[in-house]
Amino acid sequence: MRNASEVKPLVTFWGTRGSISTPGRITEKYGGNTSCITVQYQDTHIILDAGTGIRNLGIELADERKGTENQLSLHLFLSHTHWDHIQGLPFFQPAYLKDAKLTIYGSPQKEVFLAAILKGQMDPEYFPVGMATLFADTSIQEISEEVIHLGEVTIDWQEQVYHPGGSVRYRLRVNGKKIVYATDVELNRIFQPDPGSGEHRAAARDYLEFVSNADLLIADGQYTEEEYLSKVGWGHSSIDLLLKTAHEAQVKQLAIFHHDPQHSDTFLDQLWRKNRSKYRSAYEKMEVFWAREGLTLAI
Amino acid sequence: MPTDTDKSVKGDKLDKDAPSDKDSDFKSTTKLDRSTFVGEGPIKLRACLQIIGFSEEKEVVELGQGEAVIGRMAGCTIRLSFTNVSRRHARVIFRNEEYHIEDLGSTNGTYVNGIRVAKCALRNNDQIDVGGVKMLFIEERILEKT
Repeated sequence: MRNASEVKPLVTFWGTRGSISTPGRITEKYGGNTSCITVQYQDTHIILDAGTGIRNLGIELADERKGTENQLSLHLFLSHTHWDHIQGLPFFQPAYLKDAKLTIYGSPQKEVFLAAILKGQMDPEYFPVGMATLFADTSIQEISEEVIHLGEVTIDWQEQVYHPGGSVRYRLRVNGKKIVYATDVELNRIFQPDPGSGEHRAAARDYLEFVSNADLLIADGQYTEEEYLSKVGWGHSSIDLLLKTAHEAQVKQLAIFHHDPQHSDTFLDQLWRKNRSKYRSAYEKMEVFWAREGLTLAI
Repeated sequence: MPTDTDKSVKGDKLDKDAPSDKDSDFKSTTKLDRSTFVGEGPIKLRACLQIIGFSEEKEVVELGQGEAVIGRMAGCTIRLSFTNVSRRHARVIFRNEEYHIEDLGSTNGTYVNGIRVAKCALRNNDQIDVGGVKMLFIEERILEKT
């Protein structure tokens, strides 16, 4: 029998793609579904974003639940409400189960209420059934507390300004481990060439402090350095800069996430082969990998 | 009339081994049954683990659609008699039409392409490491004969 400290939080990638889902042979290794990750510890189920990857999660949760009387209690934290982070929600099976409980959290700083945004994507013009058909006990909350406690997991968060419309990063502390989810942010605008202005310096300090010593950082690395040059202002980071900042913040394990739709498996594998010696020698103490759909890590 | 430089394929049936008949006029077209084009059997996923480094020869273990346990203990589907390998180290299962590897709480971990995993959906040419024993996951889709 294992004691509690031996039970590790499990982090599963259900969707790793940025911007739009990209099904097909050329993305089957790293995945074509958009952003969705789960962190499970004991009975606490936390979902980070509801991109198209959440659909497969819903199927698995519904299957696991068959034949049990346990109420499914799920907590969904949205980084923001761009399509690739909410589009799977109408296809999430547990949201239609009467005896499931779903709490959705998001930024309080939107001009429109979070509930109205989510309801909007289920408007009859876009989707055949409305939000009222979500029979689960659903509650939509704009986060008001600085720290949220869910079972043994504590979550704090920060607004990220360098993304069109803004986004939120989350930090989960569980069983002595720190897991950070910080996607959809343009680190290049904070850190390059140098965080010159006071505003940039504060943003850089906040970011580094937030991700500091993370056991796992799941972060936006959508572009290569060359690609970034034509994507300035789009709200995403370049891979090399992400590596540099994560290393500076003494991150232990870095999952490069939110893959560009144009990045096929072959492209990512070639990029890895080209740079692996650099990643491994320059960032010796930090383990780096491409986030991959269907992968579960024990942290 | 055909000439020596004419490279088009000719014959009275779809049989590459059939002798060609250069003198035939091919005045009619042979009608083929639809089953010639449509595979009748289901597409099946065939997968194996190629175990590397045991000997000069690569050892190949075919994976079925049941569970395959990898470990040091007698009775494991893939038995690896090394001290770095746990008694029941990992298992490979077939679920939702794909293979997954799952660590069974091993001491030294299960790695896929260098990353320690609790579970992982497997893709062709994934490199697996179980207690220092390296394996290659290979899969192919084949038309099953009925």
